[in-house]
Amino acid sequence: MHFLWPYFKRGETMTAHIYKNKKPIIFFLAPAFAFIIIFLYYPFIQNIINSFQEISGLGSSAKGWADPWYSNYVKLVKDENMWIALKNTLIMLLVTVFGQVGIALLLSILTDRISHGAKFFRVVYFFPIVISATALGLLFNLIFLYDKGMINQLREIFGATELVDFKSKAYALITMMIPVMWQYVGFYFIILVTGLNNISTELYEAAAIDGATPFQQVKFISLPLLQNVISTCVILAVTGSLKVFDLPWTMFPKGLPNGETWLTGTYMYYQVFNANNVDYSSAIAVVIVILGVILSKLVNSIFKEKEF
Amino acid sequence: MKKLLALLLSLTMVVSMAACTKKEDPATNNNNNSSNNNSGATATTAPTAAPKKVTLNVTTTYAGNDGNAQNYQDAVAAWEKASGNKVNDSSSTSDETFKARVLADFETGSEPDVLFFFNGVDSNSFVQAGKVVSIDEIRQSYPDYASNMKDGMLGASPADGKNYSVPVNGYWEGMFVNKEVCKAAGVEIPDANTTWDQFLETCQKIKDAGYAPIAVSLATVPHYWFEFAIYNYTSSTTHSKLPGSASDAQGQAWVNGLNDIKMLYEKGYFPENTLTGTDDETVQLFIDNKAAFLIDGSWKVGGIEGLTSNIENFTVTYIPGKNQRKTTDIIGGLSSGYYITKKAWDDPDKRAAAVEFITYMTSDEMVSKFANVSATALKNGSSVDESQLSNLAKDGLALVKGATGMTGAVQDLIPTECRVPVFDGMPNLVTGKSDITESVQSVLDLIAAQ
Repeated sequence: MHFLWPYFKRGETMTAHIYKNKKPIIFFLAPAFAFIIIFLYYPFIQNIINSFQEISGLGSSAKGWADPWYSNYVKLVKDENMWIALKNTLIMLLVTVFGQVGIALLLSILTDRISHGAKFFRVVYFFPIVISATALGLLFNLIFLYDKGMINQLREIFGATELVDFKSKAYALITMMIPVMWQYVGFYFIILVTGLNNISTELYEAAAIDGATPFQQVKFISLPLLQNVISTCVILAVTGSLKVFDLPWTMFPKGLPNGETWLTGTYMYYQVFNANNVDYSSAIAVVIVILGVILSKLVNSIFKEKEF
Repeated sequence: MKKLLALLLSLTMVVSMAACTKKEDPATNNNNNSSNNNSGATATTAPTAAPKKVTLNVTTTYAGNDGNAQNYQDAVAAWEKASGNKVNDSSSTSDETFKARVLADFETGSEPDVLFFFNGVDSNSFVQAGKVVSIDEIRQSYPDYASNMKDGMLGASPADGKNYSVPVNGYWEGMFVNKEVCKAAGVEIPDANTTWDQFLETCQKIKDAGYAPIAVSLATVPHYWFEFAIYNYTSSTTHSKLPGSASDAQGQAWVNGLNDIKMLYEKGYFPENTLTGTDDETVQLFIDNKAAFLIDGSWKVGGIEGLTSNIENFTVTYIPGKNQRKTTDIIGGLSSGYYITKKAWDDPDKRAAAVEFITYMTSDEMVSKFANVSATALKNGSSVDESQLSNLAKDGLALVKGATGMTGAVQDLIPTECRVPVFDGMPNLVTGKSDITESVQSVLDLIAAQ
């Protein structure tokens, strides 16, 4: 580490000096800062510029400014698929908040109240997280398969004579959202279980002595003390729902059927890699970012953290 | 503790700096030397020193249900063993996603070293960008390269008329038939004399008997029906031409053809999940005696052989025609071949390996094995032992022999991204969500914009 010597006087220790003089800290932070500028902020700004340009292919340079320069945004407003994608994304948001966090909360409270087998349930509920989304997509494809799918086979056992196409317009959204919801329940479950573990057992014991029922203990002790953790989970769920891509794309590529299952993420990907509309997909990306910022702010204002 | 923290910070910085430093790649050095050498020489010779063992990145369409998927894997394994080189294979089923992925790889500079890809307009972008090496250039260093092939049949690029790829197996497209379903529905198997109207009657009878008449995934692979539906309004001499607009004669042929697909959908001749299932799923319906007909290419012969334990239950016949197109007019040709990318060519070690790999994969013996019942560009012709063929494969040979006309696929003239309104949009066309004439015009406008 001889390159640090210019910063030290003879006999002075590095450890003491490093906190007084901020220059070395800046020196150490610079590579990571440069990295994030080059690989995150520069592409982000370039993406905004691209959305006002005309770009025919991925990797090819822009032909110039779009005519008019805001034409991609006009197209976006008129694009029926984009509205479907936005609608589905908002539905996905509600599903993640109420489905993922809600179910996780219920499971964590139930698990917290059992004396034996809590560890087993933690592992069981967390397990889907370690499976890749693509593998899960293929798994659920087989479960919902039209011919010889698991559910249709079970229906046949119980006497059904007609096969149900779970990817048809009537069921597509539910079929897409159930696996997404199922996949992340374990993630929030673990966070909430950790939060519950931090609540002192003395509180429950005192409440029990005072005659509180288990339901009252949950309502008046667990939930209020978990509010900050729940708030974190909801923020993670909201931002996560805007980024959902891999599992829906595996199960419903190209928004099938008839573009009914587009999400903002899948529609943006499709426009880049299938339709070669790089400029238009950049505009969609900008909308996704704006949507993310607005929703995060909204959730932050609703779930203000409490000091206990 | 503070010392430890300082040490950690230092290490973090060193690692960050190391990560940001460009490692000098010996291959890059070689590239520079090689390109310098090339620029000064009019004709180079194949390197005489033993090349290093390399890992070749290869992508092909020999995957999934392709009849040659297993042949390809066996051939790759044999070549790896013989040459000592490795193949990093990223082959995938031939669909729009595969094409888009390969083209995007070229555009982002992450193209493979060797690819087996289409030689029609799909290849225009990387040919025009100079990202693949022409056969003439390869022959300057390797004079015997593809010398076992007829140059006129290699499949010249529409971009500049030069040969870039070495074909293996040609193709034909026909209608595969599940005999058991036809028998159960009490219908005759369509033949060379079956007309379009008779075919519709047959489909209705099959539907009434509780089977899906036609196995197709309009959601993912509407290609074959697109081709033949239009072919029914053109002829073998006029089919492979792009319309000027949706309203001219050729454009109207497209509109009428697509309207026929819509009619088939509305009559319920496609499977229930045609708008939601993948090609694999609908093919499986055909294999499982739940659908009667399947339009596909010659590569499906091997695919069906691999999927069923009763190959005698399947045959292949002509797709019933109407108007100027005779039922026996088919679609076929040599539409794909092996390319060497410029990236691999500029790497001396990979250059030799790529040439060796393609030479191996396009030898007379290998081409005969892959081509089986389809056409080849071999000077000596392919040697197929008919006694080893299944009845389905023999039916395929008979189909080609009995053809009265053959044309290439018109979709080969449409760049992948321009097909979106009618290919990805097919579910919308058949359900009436999109207007057919407008969608055809959109395709033509996208082509014109390029």
